[in-house]
Amino acid sequence: MKSILIALGFASALAMPAAAQDFGPPELIAAAKQEGRLVYYTANFAEVEQEVIKAFNKRFPEIKVEMVRAPGGQLITRVKTEAAAGKLSADVVDHSDRALMTDLVGLFQDYAPPNGKDYLPESMVSPKLWPRVTLVWSIAYNSALVKKPPKSWMDLTKPEYGNKQIGEVIAPSGGTTWTRVMFERQVLGEDYWKKQAATDPVLYPSGAPMSDALVRGEIVMGPLLYNIVYPKKRDGAPLEIFFAPEGAPVNPYASGVPSTAKNPNAAKLFLNWCLSQEGQTFMIKELGNLTSLRQPPVYPEGFDPKVVKVWLPNFDQYVKLHASWVEEWNKTYGYRQ
Amino acid sequence: MTAEAAAFAAPAAKAERAARLRVVAGWLWSGALLVLLGFLVLYPVAMLLLGALTNTNPVVDGFGVFDLSLANFVTVLGNPNVHGALANSLIACTGGTALAVVIGLAFSWIVVRTNTPWRGFVAAASLIPLFVPPLVAGVAWSILGSPRSGLINTMLAWAGLDWRIDLYSMTGLILVFGMYYAPYVYLFTASALRNMDPSLEEAAEIAGIGPVRTLFTITFPLIAPAIISSMLLSFIVMLGIYGIPAVLGAPANISVLTTYIFKLTNWSPPLYSTAAAVAIILMVVTGALVLLQQRVLAGRSFTTVAGKAFRPRVVELGPWRWLTLALALLYLVTVVVLPTLALVVAAFRRFLFIPTAGSLFEMRHYSLVHFEAVFDNPLTMRSIWNTMEVGLTTALLGGLIAFAIGYTVHRSSAPARRAIDLVATLPVAIPGLVIGVAYLWAWIGLPGGLYGTIWILTLAFVARFMPDTMKSLSTSFLQIHRELEEAAWICGKGRIGTIRTIVLPLARPGTVAAMTLLFILAIRELGSSLFLYTSNTMVMAVLLLDYYEGGNTGKTAAFSLVQTALLALLIGVATWLSRGSADASVGRAG
Repeated sequence: MKSILIALGFASALAMPAAAQDFGPPELIAAAKQEGRLVYYTANFAEVEQEVIKAFNKRFPEIKVEMVRAPGGQLITRVKTEAAAGKLSADVVDHSDRALMTDLVGLFQDYAPPNGKDYLPESMVSPKLWPRVTLVWSIAYNSALVKKPPKSWMDLTKPEYGNKQIGEVIAPSGGTTWTRVMFERQVLGEDYWKKQAATDPVLYPSGAPMSDALVRGEIVMGPLLYNIVYPKKRDGAPLEIFFAPEGAPVNPYASGVPSTAKNPNAAKLFLNWCLSQEGQTFMIKELGNLTSLRQPPVYPEGFDPKVVKVWLPNFDQYVKLHASWVEEWNKTYGYRQ
Repeated sequence: MTAEAAAFAAPAAKAERAARLRVVAGWLWSGALLVLLGFLVLYPVAMLLLGALTNTNPVVDGFGVFDLSLANFVTVLGNPNVHGALANSLIACTGGTALAVVIGLAFSWIVVRTNTPWRGFVAAASLIPLFVPPLVAGVAWSILGSPRSGLINTMLAWAGLDWRIDLYSMTGLILVFGMYYAPYVYLFTASALRNMDPSLEEAAEIAGIGPVRTLFTITFPLIAPAIISSMLLSFIVMLGIYGIPAVLGAPANISVLTTYIFKLTNWSPPLYSTAAAVAIILMVVTGALVLLQQRVLAGRSFTTVAGKAFRPRVVELGPWRWLTLALALLYLVTVVVLPTLALVVAAFRRFLFIPTAGSLFEMRHYSLVHFEAVFDNPLTMRSIWNTMEVGLTTALLGGLIAFAIGYTVHRSSAPARRAIDLVATLPVAIPGLVIGVAYLWAWIGLPGGLYGTIWILTLAFVARFMPDTMKSLSTSFLQIHRELEEAAWICGKGRIGTIRTIVLPLARPGTVAAMTLLFILAIRELGSSLFLYTSNTMVMAVLLLDYYEGGNTGKTAAFSLVQTALLALLIGVATWLSRGSADASVGRAG
């Protein structure tokens, strides 16, 4: 019944005319249409972002979104170098590592979406940078291969799941993984890494190849961002996903419009749509994201807010602990650095 | 001065003036080439060195705030993980090279010196691995040879056999390296075998020495320069490959230098200065090998080419020829058919979960969904178009520059020829992954709109593949005897006229071949594109990596097949176009 209600809510959100939803003043929308395009730099999975662009284009077909997708580290280098040379071509920059984005905040112009006040202040690191997406960690397993599935984070330390059955994304991979690693140590215990590493997991540079390995049966279980496994499960892959009772680490992105944007109106309209009720609902329902809105319009399938404890890292610690903890993680997991 | 003396002096002065003019023109020409190479090669390398010697991004932090130190090198050289990656690189490349030499040499012997049936077909098909991007080869072999979910293991289990293979290992890396780089050895050694004077082998036969002993004591030692050349080239190429160790080494936590460099640039925050320092180590290793090659080969290259006409001796194998054919076909099945089938299965199957051999043949799992998704992505068509554009401009511009440099180095007496040759060969030692950042640092700040256009990619590819193009072209220059040009000069043709009427037509097949090679290399190139593409200039190699990193083997395989089909089509067209010239080339080579 609940899922029907959610589905109805989503359908009615999409059915609403553009004017009824607040995507910005008419002048902005007209100017954005006049610009007709925007260049979008993102560190999120390309496949996922293509869906977002498609949904945005259903609402605003006049605006072409040109995406440049790069892993976190490369994206930051590109933005810094282009900006220093006066050739930053991005109209929107969207990054998973809020700490790295804080260093670049001077590159961005003032921007706030019409529903800015509806967002949780703790999800933001600057009034110029917005949590366009909020990603949540889940645990997934190959349902065709696992007879006795894990039920919690602690289960991933059990010797019975040893011998390269579990996959893990490496700690230095980016902001979202760093959040998970912090959660593991701060919530699951100082010795969690050690116990988990003892199961001899397979290490992956990012969640995308790991999710593929899980579907193929290269590994049989492991923690993964919900938005990379959910679409695969929806399309029929042999996967089961759950949110463990100890908590679900959450990482809000930081997205903004550079001062040098050549298509600032199209950029703002795109972010306005992404951050709107409609955009967030789409990303939750179809892509398996959470949201940093105070009042989530819906929850992703399988996520019960009464049961799952969402865990957001303390931002000061997120910045300060990064270098030393990642190094310790690398040592614990024998990851060559 | 008498009128007679004046009559003699005037032409002498004129000749002296002309000679002086020629010297000045020579210096101007060499200077212009050096400036061009400085821009294309030295300047980016200098940026790379600068990056390795500081902890700054030269563009972001400005050129004034250098805090030069060897700290990065000290850290890198003292890091046991770098030692590990270096050792792994050396082991994988040595093993791979050894295997490539065995396969490549066997192949060229089978094709050139035996009466094995269908040798022409075997020869043509054996070159296919050269055109396969390493990332595609890696993905195909992970589908086949993964210890848990590999198709080969699934089939072995189905057949009730207990053997299992694990290509996520050093052995796997060596096997795949060896198989894919054997064509390099084949290319070098086949032409040496073909051009070899068989009289020594005949002498051995008369002396009663058996064919196998002849092979190892006469034939192979005679073509040793070609074998050594091909060994070093395959070693150097393997050292710079990212795709294969990324796919097969990563799951077993086996780092090599290239994957290590890539990791450094990928971490959050990225460590470019460290990556640059590791890249310089890679350059030093490669540079040492290039020097070694030059030293070993000095004065030996032409010893097999005699002045008289001859045909290579063909060994009559009798019934054994079916064994050699079977071996050749086994190689082709392993290197071409199996990986292609793996890609086809992955591209058409919804999910690459194949628990049993029976499931492989259940048609309900197959669909066009990945192809639909690939072509639904607007970047796909744009990347194909951009790639063609970059490939063509690179081939034309690179061919032109390489022709100018090749002619100057091999056929002229222009000053500073050695320096020009040296600088043009330098990029062979630079790994593509890091030179991409160096190009970005070097060229982004230039006035004008170079950044964000396909021209920045073109320039990067021209510079990066200069040594390959030069190598390919220099053979044609060396084949043309100087007397033909001298004849043109006697007939009153100037330098340009001689080039136009004599050198260009004679070197045409070589130039077309070099440009085709450049086109293929440009289409495959990933490393230096990574930092230079923008939303408008996305190329196929980058999009393929995007699909791979996006964790969708189906889409990756579908796009790989599209890329392979396109390459095959282009190579077919290029072969057809240069058919006449290829025949001419074969004819001239005797």
